[in-house]
Amino acid sequence: MRRSAIASLIAVSAGMVALSLVVGTEQIDLGQAWREWREGLPPEQAPMLGIILNQRLPRTLAALIVGCGLALAGAAFQAMLRNPLAEPYTLGVASAGAFGAWTATVLIGAYGLPGLLLGLPTVQLLAFLFAEADIIVVYLLAAHRDRVSPSVLLLGGITMGMLANGGILFMRYVADPNRIVMMDRWLMGGVDVLGYRPVLTLLAGVAPCAVILLAQAPKYDQLGFGTELAAGRGVNVRLLTGVTFAVGSLMTAVAVSVVGTIAFVGLIVPHIVRSITGSRHRLLLPVSAVAGGGFLCFCDIIARKILPGETPIGIVTTLLGGPFFLYLLLRRRFTDWDA
Amino acid sequence: MKTTLEAESAGFAYEPGRPVFTGVDASVSAGEVVGLVGPNGSGKSTLLRVMCGLLRPLSGTVKLDGRRLGSYKSNERARRLAFLPQAVNPAFALSVFEVVCLGRYPHMGAFGTLRPHDREAAERVMRDTEIEHLRARDFLTLSGGERQRVLVASILAQEPQILLLDEPTSALDVHHQIEVFSLLDRLARRGEGGYGILVVTHDLNLAARFCDRILLLGRNQAMLAQGPHANVMTESLLSQAYGAPIRVSRHPETGAPLVWAEAPEQPAETGSRPAKAGERPSRRRGLR
Repeated sequence: MRRSAIASLIAVSAGMVALSLVVGTEQIDLGQAWREWREGLPPEQAPMLGIILNQRLPRTLAALIVGCGLALAGAAFQAMLRNPLAEPYTLGVASAGAFGAWTATVLIGAYGLPGLLLGLPTVQLLAFLFAEADIIVVYLLAAHRDRVSPSVLLLGGITMGMLANGGILFMRYVADPNRIVMMDRWLMGGVDVLGYRPVLTLLAGVAPCAVILLAQAPKYDQLGFGTELAAGRGVNVRLLTGVTFAVGSLMTAVAVSVVGTIAFVGLIVPHIVRSITGSRHRLLLPVSAVAGGGFLCFCDIIARKILPGETPIGIVTTLLGGPFFLYLLLRRRFTDWDA
Repeated sequence: MKTTLEAESAGFAYEPGRPVFTGVDASVSAGEVVGLVGPNGSGKSTLLRVMCGLLRPLSGTVKLDGRRLGSYKSNERARRLAFLPQAVNPAFALSVFEVVCLGRYPHMGAFGTLRPHDREAAERVMRDTEIEHLRARDFLTLSGGERQRVLVASILAQEPQILLLDEPTSALDVHHQIEVFSLLDRLARRGEGGYGILVVTHDLNLAARFCDRILLLGRNQAMLAQGPHANVMTESLLSQAYGAPIRVSRHPETGAPLVWAEAPEQPAETGSRPAKAGERPSRRRGLR
């Protein structure tokens, strides 16, 4: 029963990815696209194929990779902090990353900061540094000896998120007005990437991090029963904490720096997946990643097709995730974790 | 040769200049149950963590089979020593069988795959702790006594020779306390494969009844006495350790020592004052 539920979840996710290639403002005639492909027509005579390959496919891949990354980071943070409300967005990581990216953009525009620092794109680099700074501050706030207070963690994360948002408003205020529209659009989150360059950036940032987090699965299982029991069984809890925070925030920062802030994916997806797979992370993590990709493609379909005029995807995930967060608060399943 | 874990003049401090204990000798060998007792703040739990390698001793050494504990790789150590902390609260729902299988961690490869012999080991310890009928239950729905048995099974699944337990009965009722101690007793006395068990407890009566040896930590950051209960459970030693008058008599049926504490003298003016709401009425409280 569990197997078939997992299989259907994966099938639905794959379906969403496929659907995302076809659905959009421009009606796709699959038959025509197939003929264009088979006859090997030059690009100017193959409009359907062109739309799929140049617009839909990179966009879908971006949604897929970002969804995988955010869901995986959420599941890993939840395991690490033993708290189902932890995720890149509620811990302020996404907002801090966005603040970093804004800061970089403004500095590049107004003060001639080079676009590449240490061989890395400055926007991504600053997004990563700000995201890491956020997670370190939040963790230090909440950690006392070897315990981490879930409530301080969430309050700290949300406060840091608000601070970052204040910083973003400031950057917006001092920024070149011509850039504001573009940056605002980016702030609302959008996977409407052009071409394959952003997709490659996402892939290069998210894929190695995903592999590292997936490899920690047996250790996350151990943490479920407390850090001491895990340490007694030989888990290096300090190393695991460091790796999870560094890698999870890096992954989030890369995603944020390319597609903007997309909230709550890391909250909704692992939660639903956990109810299907159970809590063994060997299953939970990979299935969350797949479902996260499918979920973001689904949100992108809603954003493109159902809501008026290409609504930014971040608005869709926030409108879905906010009520879900409230629902989790109402259920109070986590109160006994506060002890 | 019997596996032995020993601390030699071990000392530890969380903050420099404020030692939790110093110069403590303690040991436990396969086949015996050793009770670690002492007042609150005497460093029982800290000593247990030093002896299982979670904390590094500041002075002295901890040795497992004559080899310094710190020189073992963490999974090597976990296959010999198992530690059960106090008040384990799971974050996520797992079945009893899954919880027991978590104990196989030190034997697993990098991918955490359960192989047939891992499952066999899990089955074996579930039989030993008599929890087979609970296997499919959600751990969170179990009673306190059942949880404790499952947790003991999960550390047995590590296939250790030495078990270190921190107040395994503190949240249990009288009946389940006895049940847990009887289980530990049985596990230690299985002849060849008997475990060595070091258990921290506040319950002096249970310790006297089930432990082969008692380690008594005092309030002066040092080991006050150790040995069979007849030598340790004396009024003078206990009163010195707890800094309060402690009385010892004989249990009328088992003949084991029966320990209780005298209630502190009430100052005259507070004695007549009616108890305010939220205040605990004072009463003679035995050490259970």
